[in-house]
Amino acid sequence: MKGLDRLRRLSPFVLTAALAIIIGACSGSHPNTTFTPHSDLGRDIDALWDRLLLLGTIVFVLVEAALIFVIIRYRHRDSNERPPQTHGSTKLEILWTLIPAVILVFIAIPTVRTIFKTQANAPHGSLNIEVIGHQWWWEFKYPEYGITTANEVYVPTGRTVNFTLHSADVIHSFWAPQLGGKRDVVTNRTNFLWYTPDSSMETSVWNGFCAEYCGTSHANMKFRVFTVKPDEFVRWAGWQKTQAAFGAKTATATTAASSTPEMMTAAATTTGGPYIFPKEKIPAYTVPATPPPRGLTFTAGLTGNAGRGQQIFSTGACIGCHVIAGNPSAMGVLGPNLTHIGSRTTIAAGRYPNAAAYLALWIKNARVMKPGVLMPTLGLDEYDPILKTKVTTASGGLTDQQIADVVAYLTALK
Amino acid sequence: MASTAIATPLAPTAYSGEQSGVWSWLTTVDHKRIGTLYLFTALFFFMWGGVEALIIRAQLGAPNQHLVSAEFYNQLFTMHGTTMIFLAIMPLSAAFFNYLIPLQIGARDVAFPRLNAFSYWVYLFGGIFITVPILFAVAPDGGWFGYAPLTTRAYSPGINIDFWVIGLQILGVSSLAAAFNFLTTIINLRAPGMSLMRMPMFTWMSFVVQFLLVLAFPVITIALVFLLFDRFFGTNFYNTVDAGADPLLWQHLFWIFGHPEVYILILPAFGLVSEVIPANSKKPLFGYPVMVYSGILIAVLGFGVWAHHMFAVGMGPIADTFFSLATMLIGIPTGVKIFNWIATMAQGHVRLNTPMLFAIALVALFTIGGISGVMHSSPPADLQQTDTYFIVAHFHYVLFGGSIMGIFAGIYHYFPKMTGRMLDEKLGKIHFWLYFVGMNITFFPMHFAGMLGMPRRIYTYDAGQGWESYNFYSSIGSYIIGVATLVFAWNFLKSRRSGAIAGPNPWGAATLEWTIPSPPPDYNFAKIPTVTSRYPLWEGKEADLESARFNAQEGKTAADFGIVMPYNTIKPMIVAFGLVLMFCGLLTSRVIIFLGAGIMIVSLFTWLLSPLEPEHH
Repeated sequence: MKGLDRLRRLSPFVLTAALAIIIGACSGSHPNTTFTPHSDLGRDIDALWDRLLLLGTIVFVLVEAALIFVIIRYRHRDSNERPPQTHGSTKLEILWTLIPAVILVFIAIPTVRTIFKTQANAPHGSLNIEVIGHQWWWEFKYPEYGITTANEVYVPTGRTVNFTLHSADVIHSFWAPQLGGKRDVVTNRTNFLWYTPDSSMETSVWNGFCAEYCGTSHANMKFRVFTVKPDEFVRWAGWQKTQAAFGAKTATATTAASSTPEMMTAAATTTGGPYIFPKEKIPAYTVPATPPPRGLTFTAGLTGNAGRGQQIFSTGACIGCHVIAGNPSAMGVLGPNLTHIGSRTTIAAGRYPNAAAYLALWIKNARVMKPGVLMPTLGLDEYDPILKTKVTTASGGLTDQQIADVVAYLTALK
Repeated sequence: MASTAIATPLAPTAYSGEQSGVWSWLTTVDHKRIGTLYLFTALFFFMWGGVEALIIRAQLGAPNQHLVSAEFYNQLFTMHGTTMIFLAIMPLSAAFFNYLIPLQIGARDVAFPRLNAFSYWVYLFGGIFITVPILFAVAPDGGWFGYAPLTTRAYSPGINIDFWVIGLQILGVSSLAAAFNFLTTIINLRAPGMSLMRMPMFTWMSFVVQFLLVLAFPVITIALVFLLFDRFFGTNFYNTVDAGADPLLWQHLFWIFGHPEVYILILPAFGLVSEVIPANSKKPLFGYPVMVYSGILIAVLGFGVWAHHMFAVGMGPIADTFFSLATMLIGIPTGVKIFNWIATMAQGHVRLNTPMLFAIALVALFTIGGISGVMHSSPPADLQQTDTYFIVAHFHYVLFGGSIMGIFAGIYHYFPKMTGRMLDEKLGKIHFWLYFVGMNITFFPMHFAGMLGMPRRIYTYDAGQGWESYNFYSSIGSYIIGVATLVFAWNFLKSRRSGAIAGPNPWGAATLEWTIPSPPPDYNFAKIPTVTSRYPLWEGKEADLESARFNAQEGKTAADFGIVMPYNTIKPMIVAFGLVLMFCGLLTSRVIIFLGAGIMIVSLFTWLLSPLEPEHH
């Protein structure tokens, strides 16, 4: 029993240490926290949370204190006597039925008020954004502007944005924790979620997640919300409406490919001043840090030709699933719209940064890069983990050079 | 003290000669032996589900890990939930239902002993059926909640979900058969004088749970039949492309079952600690009638709150308000239980032995789970909490801090009754403290991870999202729990053979099960007692003590008292085998379906035509 006593004496220290570690952890940066909301809905929820936390903490402290007091005060060792045999007390029991009831009233009233406030129809003049959940990526449409994009959604600060939620397949859930609560994206139904990003907010980027389990790559179904000033939004929208800068014209721009993707620079120049989100305002936590899968490599030192890339894209399997406005043969709607793919910061629904090296690996073997995806494995001699076959020339396999060409083309689509 | 007056403990007597060997276990209809089978099987599955959890925690211990693939991770979390709920906690409760209910109400067995054996065998075969696929990486991967349309053939074409749909149907048969059995037992087989309001609290909570099972399981059965038809016969209940199908139908049906299921998991543990706390405070349960009514109220309200699992699906403000307020109401009877347990200890003589520590841990930890439960009963607040790790933290405080702690309180408390030997206190306390500390290190940080934006059911997460440290602590904590479980397993196996002799009533407890020898003879009570009080061994009434003395006689056989015992029979097991084989046929060939059905029908026929016990003379 000596060891046990020692354990008992040690346990407060262990618990204190554990608490210290947890508090220490709290001081780190928390880019997806729900505690610093940046919208009206987020603040309404946070106000409720603060009340729940306060009342919850009071109840917790009182109950645990009572429990600990009783254990210490009435602890008996080896007693053969029996204490007075009380069977209950109606007064006490009524008392502790009423106390929780009263506490719950203080929770219920603001709850019901907030339910009706936040679930009313979106105010007139809201920006409507259609959100379509796909296994495992997000499609965003702006009916007001005729824009379709994927995995990266731009919203102006200070204007109510009304997300209209649909699913193309199974149930998903649309959630950007820093901006507000989540809403499920339910098959065969239309759901709504609206809030107003704070007008005082700086131009920034926030992480978004799919919160409802939706299959193999549920973990890889992320998106980014770009909160921009209204004038920046107008510029962005106006430019997104146009065809891809590279478009249908035959370009001779080439990219210098190498094993380090950052050196691959898009040479295509764009016209009319596109709105490119300022790089310095992209926070580190929105830049994916997922390493590419081991064993998947790409030939170093290849130079892609965007014109050839366009040729390959337009005559290959790509057009079956992807739209590129301005490229008349690219009309497939199963996959993300790639019109301005070169201006996006991430690929594969937020799993990898949109850099040439990642794009090349993605085209080469998407199914290794992100489990379960519909995007086929295209690299010649690559093993397709879903079809369980090797890709051959006959099945449309692309050489690394061909992939580098396609990457050059896509990167040029600012 | 009355209990100490009872005969000096003898070495535990083994079952009589014909009652040993593998065959006797396969053919047994004795509720105590079936309870023991349930206990061993469920502890095995508890460890199995625990290993799944440890792999999950290893994968999530750091960002961007590749220990397991996305596909296998999804199988792991699906099977961790399914295993712990259907194969571990429910059958652990069933072990106690089996072992204790007849002993607590003064009965010789359950109402239908052979049906009882059947329930166990269906559970075992169903458990194997649903567990084996993970060894071949083809386990169910749709989550324990199996949301349609993800689980329909269009989005889950493989055999994985088939195992889940069919496996849960099989387990449902077991639960329903057992529930009707216990209902009949409690209603009809109580000893003379054992009025409902004299029943021990564990039996009361079990009684409530059987109603929940009988009312909730048909709903999941129907939901699963729809899904089964969608998957196998092309019907359109949940499929999406055609008009008329509604995936939310699944969610409503599932949670109409699923929420009462939560109370199915927790009420037996409540019952167990309501036995342990009075015994170790040497005081009757505080507010017995209120404890009964609050249990009933929790169960009744439990059928009106299912949609609080669905606050994010967009049901509209009226429905959200209704389900929110109903959910908050459940907090009241639950709170009353907590206060009454504390009041039971107050002014008592609190003895901090291992079962008592586990029982107190339930009170302390369930409170945390209850408070976080109230936090997401508020739908707007829930929009930030649902489907995040905050919820994972919440229900592990309820299910680990509540159910598992309560069940272990029960195991340490009743192990002496079941085996005649005590579990080692020192190892028990090590087990307890490792569980208590490990559990909090594992699950408390999950509150933070969730509120800081970490979604549930993700097989990987990126670095730099502010979740690394919490996940690291959770993973460390889970391995502490793992080690503690090994300590328990060692204690359990060792003490069965060499633990200190327990005697009939080692804790000085008050109820009928403590009046008979440990382990109890196959006939339980030499003479069915006539009960005159709620705490027969404490209230000191002569009639109660007299029958207690008579029933404490050791080393006698049923024949000595002229008690007629039921025959052992293999038939329930064969019927169960036929049933499961029939279901297996759905995955293989029609021949197997007919073969299984044939075996089931023929053996059921012979079962029903053979007598339960020798004729009475």
